[in-house]
Amino acid sequence: MSHDEYIPLAERKRLRATEIKKHNLANILTHWFNVAMWALLLPTGIAILASPRLGIVPELWQTFMRNVFGGTANLIEFHYSVGLVWMAVLTFNILVGFRRYFIPFTRERMFLDADDIEWLKVKPLQMIGLAKDKKLPAQDVYNAGQKLYMYMVILGTLTIGLTGLIMTFHNVIAWPWLIQWCLPIHFSAVGMVVAGLIIHVYMGAVFPEENEAFFSMFTGKVSAWYARRHHAKWYWHKMEEEMDWEDRVLAEGRALKTEESAAD
Amino acid sequence: MADKKRYGFVIDVSRCIDCRACLVACRVENEVPLPHTRIWVKDQGLQGTFPDLARSFVPYNCMHCEHPPCVEVCTSGATYKDPDNGLVLVDQDACIGCGLCVEACPYDARYLDPARGVVDKCTGCVQRVERGDEPACVATCLGGARIFGDFNDPESGVSKVLAGATKVRQLVTDEVDHDPSIFYINGDVMRAELLPRLPRYTTSESLWRNVAVPAVVAGITLSFLGQAVAFTKQLIEGEQEFEE
Repeated sequence: MSHDEYIPLAERKRLRATEIKKHNLANILTHWFNVAMWALLLPTGIAILASPRLGIVPELWQTFMRNVFGGTANLIEFHYSVGLVWMAVLTFNILVGFRRYFIPFTRERMFLDADDIEWLKVKPLQMIGLAKDKKLPAQDVYNAGQKLYMYMVILGTLTIGLTGLIMTFHNVIAWPWLIQWCLPIHFSAVGMVVAGLIIHVYMGAVFPEENEAFFSMFTGKVSAWYARRHHAKWYWHKMEEEMDWEDRVLAEGRALKTEESAAD
Repeated sequence: MADKKRYGFVIDVSRCIDCRACLVACRVENEVPLPHTRIWVKDQGLQGTFPDLARSFVPYNCMHCEHPPCVEVCTSGATYKDPDNGLVLVDQDACIGCGLCVEACPYDARYLDPARGVVDKCTGCVQRVERGDEPACVATCLGGARIFGDFNDPESGVSKVLAGATKVRQLVTDEVDHDPSIFYINGDVMRAELLPRLPRYTTSESLWRNVAVPAVVAGITLSFLGQAVAFTKQLIEGEQEFEE
């Protein structure tokens, strides 16, 4: 990782003062919309699970939420409704932004490359105190761990959405076995995402090294310093883009000057 | 008189003539769609040998068990035992139509209505009982085979009939006893076709309970402990102004 490189003080100060755009508005809005939906769906979904055979939800929480919503039917109806809004907005976002946001995001930010695979081999070992001498490869805009979590969230969201839709429209589903299977699958997918979510929230909002990542979810920007230290591959790619842009502007200027000289 | 009621039925098997007026009354009162029914009369066929022959009919519906397995398995809590009257009821607006309770009921006294995607069963005509009437099946029973009341009230009709009866049976076995609130008198009901089966739990429900729940709990616990350790370390070590 680029943590090893020495960066002179003046350059560090310049990097800290420079901002690079990491997230566009669509990313930011979708992220916080998801947060809002999870904040509404998770507590209500947990409270619905009343079966004493499962025995996982404290009765106090079940009763509290039923009292808040005025009964089980209202609680379930609310969960259904928010779930439908969640799925509708996500689908709308993907369809509307398919070419402008979805395809570029998928192509440029989601796939694992050779460096990511190497990172996945080394990082877990380092986390348990091994392979300290091995260098971590430079990472893209998302590191390999974040990409894996992204896959999990996408898979989880698809599973939660599909099973949720089936259960929401149970009155038109002719096969009770399908609903019976949707229940544990929906539950497991939520559990899987929540287990990752705990780490995600910690890394994003509490872990000091990633402070900038948290604020970037509001502003869309990180410092060049953070980008170079944590996502060096992405940082240098951005620098290349910037240099290309500078070259283009200079070339345009030169061409204009040549035209003016010729006209004179 | 006890504060909490335990409503249930006493069924005098010797008085049932299989007219099935109770089925009609139930269907009308509760708008039960064909071909479903909330209650049954089970024909026991001819018993004995000629010329000592007998034939009996056994009215049958939800047993409103004291420890109902349908309530235990209900995902959303739509099926519940009313704490005030002891009846096992279904809040159909809260039912998600998974049918786990249908599988679990040892008496097969529930059905999944495919038209509405919800479970339906005998409610003891709670809407009538709450205004002081008898359930429709009881009110219409010509022979007086069905009696309804509060077992916790020693002055109720059911308590008095039970006290005077010589042969009282609940449909239970050594393996399956959820303390049903239907007591049969004056007839032989301990026949294999009437006795309860073991509650059935689907593969999906068993996997959910035995695999998915422990796995999710373990995953979330590990994840939480992981971040808790990291957070504690962070607190102990402190933060530098320019963390790198």
